[in-house]
Amino acid sequence: MITAERKPIQEIMNLVSPYKNLLLVGCNECVTVCSAGGRKEVALLSSALQVAFMKSGRIVHIQEMTLERQCDPEYIEQLVPHIDSVDAVLSLACGCGVQEIARRFKEKMVFPGVNTKFMGASERPGVWAERCQGCGDCLLGVTGGICPIARCSKRLQNGPCGGSSKGKCEIGPDVDCAWQLIWDRLKALGLQERYETLLPAKNWRNGRGGGPRKIVREDLM
Amino acid sequence: MNLKKKLKSGEFVVLAEMETPRGVDISELVGNAQRLKGRVDAVVVPDMDCGAMRLSALAGAALMQQQGIESVIHVYGRDRNQMALQSDLLGAYVLGVRNLVVVSGEGISQCDHRKAKAVDDLDEMSILQMIRCLQQGLDLAGFELKGTPAFTTGCTLPACADEKAFEAAIEQVRRKIAAGAEYVVTAPIFNFEHSISCLKRAMSLGVPVIPTVLLLKSVGMARYIAVNEPGSMLSEALIARIRKAPDREEECLRIAAEIVAGLKGVAQGIKIQALGWEHRLPAVLDLAGI
Ligand code: SF4
Ligand code: SF4
Repeated sequence: MITAERKPIQEIMNLVSPYKNLLLVGCNECVTVCSAGGRKEVALLSSALQVAFMKSGRIVHIQEMTLERQCDPEYIEQLVPHIDSVDAVLSLACGCGVQEIARRFKEKMVFPGVNTKFMGASERPGVWAERCQGCGDCLLGVTGGICPIARCSKRLQNGPCGGSSKGKCEIGPDVDCAWQLIWDRLKALGLQERYETLLPAKNWRNGRGGGPRKIVREDLM
Repeated sequence: MNLKKKLKSGEFVVLAEMETPRGVDISELVGNAQRLKGRVDAVVVPDMDCGAMRLSALAGAALMQQQGIESVIHVYGRDRNQMALQSDLLGAYVLGVRNLVVVSGEGISQCDHRKAKAVDDLDEMSILQMIRCLQQGLDLAGFELKGTPAFTTGCTLPACADEKAFEAAIEQVRRKIAAGAEYVVTAPIFNFEHSISCLKRAMSLGVPVIPTVLLLKSVGMARYIAVNEPGSMLSEALIARIRKAPDREEECLRIAAEIVAGLKGVAQGIKIQALGWEHRLPAVLDLAGI
């Protein structure tokens, strides 16, 4: 999933301070799962903002809505009946959702209420960790299902640097060394020989190196 | 005889590492280098070692060449993509730099510019392959070079806290040699007895091995290394030796000199790393009888 964290309330207040009527829009997908921008967080932020503005002597009207998917134009249409009655939109979706709103409603300012962080997974309640950087040419098949691009601090593709110590990365004791994980897993799978072949330098063109990316599926057009 | 020839012929080589300044005052760097001229085979210029922004290794090495001192530069992929790496290596060659060590840069989060973005386009293996490619007259995009560079390229063997880590590190060095590394520079050695067996195993890989001797400067520094780098094998006895010495600085020089002298019959050379005490390097060489 795409993970996100809510921005500090003061930053959000600064962003929306010129506006009196806001549409606060959550998303039912990833940001709900990581408890950053779902229906519940929309309700919480709405009350927190109203209280905070009231304390500073301002009345702000907030309409709350949570869409099934904010990155999908089909669901964005559900905002049409509400958009004219507000001055601006505050979105709790990831950056993709915020941009869909901006694309659809050209005359309305839209603000992000969360910081979109990474593509990751939940490690345990309350902890999410990065798992994929969308490099466009997945290596997991040769690295035992553990991503060196997202999980090795130096994005090494051919074994560890010299800093790996007792399974931890040199950048800190809280970070697992991805190459230790890869090696242990390849060994457990009896696939150590995979490690023998040097991987060629990565073609970053499949990733962000090639500029903004698009997928075009003519069969679906 | 230049470094390449000495390494080939099995002669003992002496390398001294010199940090470039954080700024443009090169008087100390050049002065220290002049004092070592004729006493070392080459000066190793690291590139922003320990993650501290400094004058580039390329410029530092060019200054060494101007002084008539052979140089070695560190190369790694944290801050430069493959275009910048190749371009700088071509630049290094025309400025007279013939020796490289492909190293693992400090992670960007450990560097002194906390807001910087890492590049990490090529890892050490890929950089070694890139150098091999340049030496064959082609760049990484397959275009022919006008004039082909030739380098003597080394790689590194990190400090290892246990046997398992050492085995993995040796395996990595073996792969680096397959990718083009022609010699190995080890992490600093503080415990002679422990290091000998490790060095011998590294030497069995078939290329010259050059251990690093780090010049300790104080009890505090020794203790820091012992605590933070378990792979250093820096013993309590060594820390006590510095602490009890009437002249601690002198004792530090003597310790480094003893390790240097001890390695003389064992390894194919040494690299002395002074981390700011470059002006004391001649004294270490004197004490070691080099
Ligand atoms: S290799 Fe690339 S696509 Fe596969 S998990 Fe890693 S970053 Fe994602
Ligand atoms: S310690 Fe492991 S995870 Fe950290 S940079 Fe080195 S290889 Fe990558």
